Amino acid sequence: MENKFTRNIYMVPYALWIALFVIAPILLVLYYSFFDIEGNLSLINYQKFFTPVYLKMTLSSFWYAFLITLISLIVAYPTAYLLTKTKHKQLWLLLIIVPSWINLLLKAYAFLGIFGTYGITNSFLEVIGIGSQQILFTDFSFIFVSVYIFIPFMILPIFNSLNELNPTLIDAANDLGASKWTTFRRVIFPLTIDGVKSGCQVVFIPALSLFMLTRLIAGNRVITLGTAIEQHFLVTQDWGMGSTIAVFLIIIMFLFMSFTGTRKRGI
Amino acid sequence: MKNEAIIQFKNVTKQYDDDPPVLNDVSFEIEKGKFYTLLGPSGCGKTTILRLIAGFTEASNGEIFFNGKKINDVPANKRQVNTVFQDYALFPHLNVYENVAFGLRIKKMNSIDIDKKVKEALSFVNLKGYENREIREMSGGQRQRVAIARAIVNEPEVILLDEPLSALDLKLRYEMQYELRELQRRLGITFIFVTHDQEEALAMSDEIFVLDQGKIQQSGTPKDIYDEPINRFVADFIGESNILKGRMLDDYLVEFVGKQFECVDQGLDKNEAIEIVIRPEDLEITTLERGKLQVRVDSQLFRGVHYEISCYDKDGNEWLVHSTKAANVGDEIGLYFDPEAIHVMRLGETEEEFDKRLEAYTDGEAGHGK
Repeated sequence: MENKFTRNIYMVPYALWIALFVIAPILLVLYYSFFDIEGNLSLINYQKFFTPVYLKMTLSSFWYAFLITLISLIVAYPTAYLLTKTKHKQLWLLLIIVPSWINLLLKAYAFLGIFGTYGITNSFLEVIGIGSQQILFTDFSFIFVSVYIFIPFMILPIFNSLNELNPTLIDAANDLGASKWTTFRRVIFPLTIDGVKSGCQVVFIPALSLFMLTRLIAGNRVITLGTAIEQHFLVTQDWGMGSTIAVFLIIIMFLFMSFTGTRKRGI
Repeated sequence: MKNEAIIQFKNVTKQYDDDPPVLNDVSFEIEKGKFYTLLGPSGCGKTTILRLIAGFTEASNGEIFFNGKKINDVPANKRQVNTVFQDYALFPHLNVYENVAFGLRIKKMNSIDIDKKVKEALSFVNLKGYENREIREMSGGQRQRVAIARAIVNEPEVILLDEPLSALDLKLRYEMQYELRELQRRLGITFIFVTHDQEEALAMSDEIFVLDQGKIQQSGTPKDIYDEPINRFVADFIGESNILKGRMLDDYLVEFVGKQFECVDQGLDKNEAIEIVIRPEDLEITTLERGKLQVRVDSQLFRGVHYEISCYDKDGNEWLVHSTKAANVGDEIGLYFDPEAIHVMRLGETEEEFDKRLEAYTDGEAGHGK
């Protein structure tokens, strides 16, 4: 029998982990954000954040994260829907998830090869007569590769919520005169909105702070908050400013989480 | 009096892949404004018939007509039928009002009419004032009513009910049986009710179709089916019965358990092997001398309304007796029954032949001046 004491003992590793790797870093980030580049206590970083340079950066981060999330959703929803209709759905799902096990960096490098000047895509474009194009280091390639990387994370929660949907409800909607599209709009989508929300969370939040892809695929043409944090910590050594941006990023994430928070409803 | 058929099945077969057919060459007609029950054990094809009428599945073979028009290729959302599902299938993201209004909104009815109709439907099922409740706040019986309201609000010509009472407790089930029957009478629309519960079927229906192994075994009024079961399956499935092998010696004379008995059946071949059915409530406990059968009481159960007494005769045949009087276990008793209590079943008789024979009885009885 478990008593309170043993239960508390089991909690120790978890509590330690949370304290050391979640709470402590956040507090440290908060602490550093109050120091300027000379190491003096000040609010200058917060002041700087509200200048056009950083506000524009925030906006562009949002814009790219929004585009990535939207495109992932548009691709993932029908895919997840088709998956639930296939015979061996767990196998198909596995095939879609497997690429997400490969290291992000490796995938990024793979795309460098594919999209590069002498890559497959350009050879193909030349063959069909369009001619070689600059694909790498464009907004298109950045969004394409990001979507590619995030799609499994979008498909998974949507697939789960579609899979849990009681198929009789679709019969019922049909029975009451709803066409396929109306059934989707009034029954299927509203009932899988929780899956869509968690998919959007899992994609939007990391997409806000992407930095490696912006460097490798977008060639630093796309500067997001993530890139800025990385630059401040590693290049300009302005840890204070980097931390300030991180603080804002954390606030935005919490806001986004609470907006898309799941409200449990249903039987 | 023959009403016009609203639904007609002509040689309908439903088969998945190479499995044995779920429905095997089934033909029947459903008349307007009656309460029909499809009765049978699970896997007999009753739900498949319902799904075929609703349009959720397609027939592998045969034709289905609705108001004289073939509807095999009409999609479910274009059919004039509404279904009450076994698990109710209420939309969990909508409240009671919106669930009921769902079909009307799809028809693009204006909101004043919708409001009127939804309230009317809800008061029909005694759910006035529940409009703004969430589905999860409703009990099983209330959900059941919402599901019925959602179906009747569309004013369909036929309502299909797929074992809608199976999830309710016994008392609520009895209550809903009355309510459904009453509702059908008030609305005057055709109900097709699927159940595996023979009591439910007998209590509610105008007509019962007894199904087994993808075939309609017998159709008729509850009384017909109870009193004149066509074969062993029907006799056994509907109510309790004592079924024994016997031989028809002559008109009005039948032999079983080695004795001869007077009966009311005639027109069968001499010495034809048959099966007889005697309902337990038609057996009367009496003295050994008066009894047509002599049996020993083996066990007894008190069922509330009656005692269920299991007896054995000296040949080892079991006799089930329903009696309001208790017997003593171990006693030798006599069992008495009227000639009318014996129901003779021919082996492998089709429904048509059976009906013809029953008609002949009535003529025969008139001739004998009975």
